[in-house]
Amino acid sequence: MIKTILKPFAKFFELQARTHYRVERHSMALTFGIILAAGVGGFVEIAPLFTIDDTVEIDPDMRLYTPLEQAGRDIYIREGCYACHSQMIRTLRDEVERYGPYSLAVESQYDHPMLWGSKRTGPDLARVGEKYSDDWQVRHLVDPRALVPESIMPHYAFLLDAQLETDSLPDRLWALRMVGVPYTDDMIENAAGDAVGQARPDSDRVNGVVERYGQQTAVRTFDGRSDMVTEMDALVAYLQILGRLTDLPQQIQPQPEE
Amino acid sequence: MMSNLTGAERTSAMLISGMGVVIGLTMAIVGRNDVMGAQGWIVLAFSAVVFFMVANALYHPEPTEDRTTSYYDDPTKVGIVLALVWAVVAMGIGVWVAAQLAWPGLRFDAAWSSFGRIRPVHTSGVIFGFGGNALIATSYHIMQRTSRARMPDQVTPWFVLLGFNLFCIIAASGYLMGVTQSKEYAEPEWYADIWLVVVWVAYFVLYIRTLARRNEPHIYVANWYYLAFILVVAVLHIVNNLAIPASLAGAKSYSAFSGVQDAMTQWWYGHNAVAFFLTSGFLGMLYYFLPKRADRPIYSYRLSILSFWGITFFYIWAGSHHLHYTALPHWVQTLGMTFSVMLLIPSWASAGNALMTLNGAWHKVRDDATLRFMMVAAVFYGLSTFEGSFMAIRPVNALSHYTDWTIGHVHAGAMGWVALITFGSIYALTPVLWHRERMYSAKAVEWHFWLALAGTVIYVFAMWNSGITQGLMWRTYTQSGTLRFSFTDTLIAMHPYYVARALGGLLFVTGACIGFWNVIMTIRHVSKQNRELDHPTSPKATEPVLPVAE
Amino acid sequence: MSVKDRDPLTGHQTTGHEWNGITELNTRVPRVVWFFILVTHLWALAVWVLLPAWPLVTTSTKGILGLDQREEVAKKVVAANSDRAVWGERIKSLSADEILGDPELFARISDTGPQLFGDNCAGCHGAQATGGPGFPNLIDGAWLWGGDTDTVMETLRVGINAPHPDTRWAQMPAFGRDGLLPRNDIRMVVDYVQSLSGVKSPADTIAAGAEIFATNCTSCHGNDGTGNPDAGAPDLSDGFWIYGGDDEAMFRTIWGGRQGWMPAWEDRLTETERKIITVYLQHVRQDTVK
Ligand code: HEC
Ligand code: HEC
Ligand code: HEC
Ligand code: HEM
Ligand code: HEM
Ligand SMILES: [Ca+2]
Ligand SMILES: [Ca+2]
Ligand SMILES: [Cu+2]
Repeated sequence: MIKTILKPFAKFFELQARTHYRVERHSMALTFGIILAAGVGGFVEIAPLFTIDDTVEIDPDMRLYTPLEQAGRDIYIREGCYACHSQMIRTLRDEVERYGPYSLAVESQYDHPMLWGSKRTGPDLARVGEKYSDDWQVRHLVDPRALVPESIMPHYAFLLDAQLETDSLPDRLWALRMVGVPYTDDMIENAAGDAVGQARPDSDRVNGVVERYGQQTAVRTFDGRSDMVTEMDALVAYLQILGRLTDLPQQIQPQPEE
Repeated sequence: MMSNLTGAERTSAMLISGMGVVIGLTMAIVGRNDVMGAQGWIVLAFSAVVFFMVANALYHPEPTEDRTTSYYDDPTKVGIVLALVWAVVAMGIGVWVAAQLAWPGLRFDAAWSSFGRIRPVHTSGVIFGFGGNALIATSYHIMQRTSRARMPDQVTPWFVLLGFNLFCIIAASGYLMGVTQSKEYAEPEWYADIWLVVVWVAYFVLYIRTLARRNEPHIYVANWYYLAFILVVAVLHIVNNLAIPASLAGAKSYSAFSGVQDAMTQWWYGHNAVAFFLTSGFLGMLYYFLPKRADRPIYSYRLSILSFWGITFFYIWAGSHHLHYTALPHWVQTLGMTFSVMLLIPSWASAGNALMTLNGAWHKVRDDATLRFMMVAAVFYGLSTFEGSFMAIRPVNALSHYTDWTIGHVHAGAMGWVALITFGSIYALTPVLWHRERMYSAKAVEWHFWLALAGTVIYVFAMWNSGITQGLMWRTYTQSGTLRFSFTDTLIAMHPYYVARALGGLLFVTGACIGFWNVIMTIRHVSKQNRELDHPTSPKATEPVLPVAE
Repeated sequence: MSVKDRDPLTGHQTTGHEWNGITELNTRVPRVVWFFILVTHLWALAVWVLLPAWPLVTTSTKGILGLDQREEVAKKVVAANSDRAVWGERIKSLSADEILGDPELFARISDTGPQLFGDNCAGCHGAQATGGPGFPNLIDGAWLWGGDTDTVMETLRVGINAPHPDTRWAQMPAFGRDGLLPRNDIRMVVDYVQSLSGVKSPADTIAAGAEIFATNCTSCHGNDGTGNPDAGAPDLSDGFWIYGGDDEAMFRTIWGGRQGWMPAWEDRLTETERKIITVYLQHVRQDTVK
């Protein structure tokens, strides 16, 4: 029975092996064979992600990262936080119950690159924004074990003394616009000033920040230091916006106790 | 070594390294306000060292030997030593990384020593530094031997080998300085990415040209695998690293893709880096050194065809198994899951082909630690591909994803398969390359084998335990239907496993150090032996007709 | 080499080639390989039919089971919610004492409380709810806003100084930094405040401090320094400190002011969950006091 089912396979393979025997004498034939065989899968899986409409949900109210938040994101990447923290709540009951509504594609629409992560040595951070106070975030980054004795997270105290480099922010926003983030000319021009303004609630730059990035923008002295805008300001500003660029996830997912 | 180059070759080597100096200087000047400047100085220093080494030999007499009668092995030798240096350094850092997770205070009070920055030094160091050098070096050896032809010129192999190491150094030093794109296994920034493309194209051309010069009608299976490794890694690398730099005077760039598309591209790359770097390339190694050491014919040519094309075709589809239950559309996940399972058969076919080849040579496996390295590697290859296909099934991945189970799987593959096959191959290759009678100490090879095996087993078991424990704790419910454990509870449960893992890693790296020592001692202290038949013979190859299978 | 070469050991034919000493046998592909190829492909085929699988330019196949991961998890969450609602509703409506007195409901609290507290509150208030510098102890009985169930529930809902429209405001002014009091006055008022909980200092500084206190602090902390729960102003006489009662810490409190930020939990935790935590805290408190 099994023999008869398998017979055609073997026949076919006999023919194929003979063809192969001839083809394997030509390095270029092998080269093209490999490119062809290895090309199909990637194309079929990636190309449709750009053409199938409902791949990424649409939310016209989706916020952009402010220059300060984007600078914080760059620091998050630089320090390798993604090696321990995911930013992707999967469609599993326990994750939804622990971390909140599952992540949508639209939430990382402007994330170049995405930071979904592949290992959770620390908890997921997709919705950590405003879960803790700025002060907590700062103290936690300065000395994680002071707040969570069992923590194995590294400390990042030096961020508190590192002045934030803002000169390159217009270039960075420009590059992001090149890859598809809708920053306006106005935003790009004022990027450096806006980064400082967002961390200086008492400065006259605040209005500009709020005007360009919306009323919801958190303008605070994130690191508690009013003498200097630090890398800590940027990183905490970024952490506090995580999960808060859009409220589509809360809208489309079942709310407990309605 | 330099005096084996012809005068013209020395000149072009000087020109190339001189250009490296200029590029490095340009980077250093243009990027002086950025970390890119520091990277420029590294490029400059590296190129300058090469430049002066060549310049030193510039007026040495021309080589006189008839070069068509021998193989060109100098770059292979250097590649093997470099692979061992990277092994000791990068696995040593692996132990440090592991120790930090057990004892987080075990670091310097400096930014560069934090977990997030040294972890990629470990991963890139082992995969690219150790694995990459081993692949390049063995491919040089194998392509010449199985083609019965010398490489077409003597500069390209150096360019590829040294250029690749420059890439690795830029990458590793960059991570410590905070230069990273965050894309796993593709972390280096845009200028390093571009440089790797240049090196890789040269590698491909070198390979194809050597094959074109061959004196064998057929191309041996090992070369198919090396060819797939070179080609597909090039395609993956170029697409996944598409990015726009914020400025040509700075390191920072932004990926061309975002969100879901970026995730899919990244894991299409990431998974196939595993497939074509950590699998195809090393299968090429296995296909040469295992039958050679066992002195047995490959069990089945037909099985080789089946597994080669199966692996090449099916692997590419499997990347989305890294994104189960995420915001990636469900249909892609289904494809990733099903293709991962179908992939198991060709994978096992190649593991089986290797093990069946040992039929008739099992007594050698018992007595010869070198062959035993290769045998155990094939077993771990089978084991980790089985595990991988299992973890690719969505409900299983729901448990394993994000946990140490993945890390355990990685190291079953990386230590058990990649590192063991490499060490076995190095032990087989060293005496041949340096024309020595044998390895300096057979006992040391034996020690290395048991340390490596014990280290791998401890590591992998610790991670299975911690991964499954953590995965289960995250989803344990109380009788009330609420979660039982907080995240911190799971952290406490992980600690003993992290200690065990660091210990396993320590054993493993101790073995690697012994291996390094043994190779050096072999080169320095074992007496010479002139080997017969390790040179191209006259081209009188025949072309038999493939008989029917039996 | 010729085709007829045979491996002496197995008797199988080779393919007739030799590469640097390596030969290959022409053994057929073992049948079990074909068998498992068949099995895995059939399985894949079945999965493709049942589940969303293949892309079609602007859409994808949906699979005859009509499953989608998002709907799946939504169903599970809804079902779990309604399962828990059976006792959740009772927890919401009953008083803390009633809940703690009911063995069944008490079991729910002790099942659920530790994880909710651990994942949300322990980062600030500590695993044992004993607080730490800047974060109040929740089981010492000293309250800023009041410790009865409703008050705590409200504190949890809106947070303190948090970005929530109804948040509780608690602002301790920065007397030193904002130039309201000279350094020396602050030193004296520190001595006075410490004396409220029995710390000894020279009588004249205490007297001077008392005067400064009367003009600057009583509006919030009350004439006798016992605090005002309506303004979240702490009792300064009970010996419990959030930021510390020594000279140094207290000087910094009065010099730079304090605006502790407690997050609002309305959007993150359901009312039942907040109630569970509140009752759990009460239970922990009673347990510790005993
Ligand atoms: C070695 C792994 C590791 C690295 C690297 C790491 N973390 Fe953590 N992180 C942890 C662990 C473990 C926890 C849980 C214990 C704790 O709260 O400290 C945690 C907790 C957190 C939390 C609190 C999350 C919550 O919901 O309780 C935040 C926020 C955070 N980390 C941010 C960061 C940032 C930002 C970086 C990089 C600058 C970073 N982490 C790097 C391991 C890490
Ligand atoms: C970001 C840190 C943080 C987190 C997380 C946090 N708290 Fe608080 N909490 C505070 C601070 C700070 C205060 C004191 C506010 C002040 O000083 O005015 C406070 C005050 C309180 C109070 C009021 C105490 C009183 O005396 O009236 C209660 C009750 C409380 N927290 C309970 C909780 C619970 C329950 C949770 C978890 C659901 C929680 N807290 C999470 C920081 C936090
Ligand atoms: C506008 C109202 C207000 C005034 C006026 C005021 N306080 Fe406060 N004070 C508060 C509030 C609210 C807190 C709690 C802040 C917190 O916990 O974040 C507080 C906290 C404190 C604390 C810290 C208690 C602890 O547990 O660590 C001390 C000490 C204190 N006040 C002393 C004073 C003194 C002395 C003065 C006068 C010089 C004064 N306060 C004036 C509102 C006030
Ligand atoms: C001395 C032996 C080794 C030790 C102690 C070690 C340790 C580690 C540690 C601690 C991590 C980080 C895990 C985490 O984030 O939780 C890691 C990751 C990794 N290591 Fe190793 N390692 C060793 C050998 C190797 C070898 C030989 C290879 C490859 C050839 C390798 C490849 C990797 C890869 C690819 C990762 C990333 C895994 C992932 O992101 O999922 N390691 N290793
Ligand atoms: C049939 C073959 C294999 C399959 C189907 C497979 C499948 C998988 C799966 C499902 C994961 C976990 C993804 C996640 O949950 O995040 C994974 C991770 C990984 N595998 Fe494999 N695997 C295979 C073979 C191998 C081999 C031979 C290696 C060799 C070293 C390897 C290296 C890795 C690495 C490095 C990762 C971690 C990726 C990350 O950073 O997250 N795999 N693999
Ligand atoms: Ca990973
Ligand atoms: Ca890159
Ligand atoms: Cu994979």
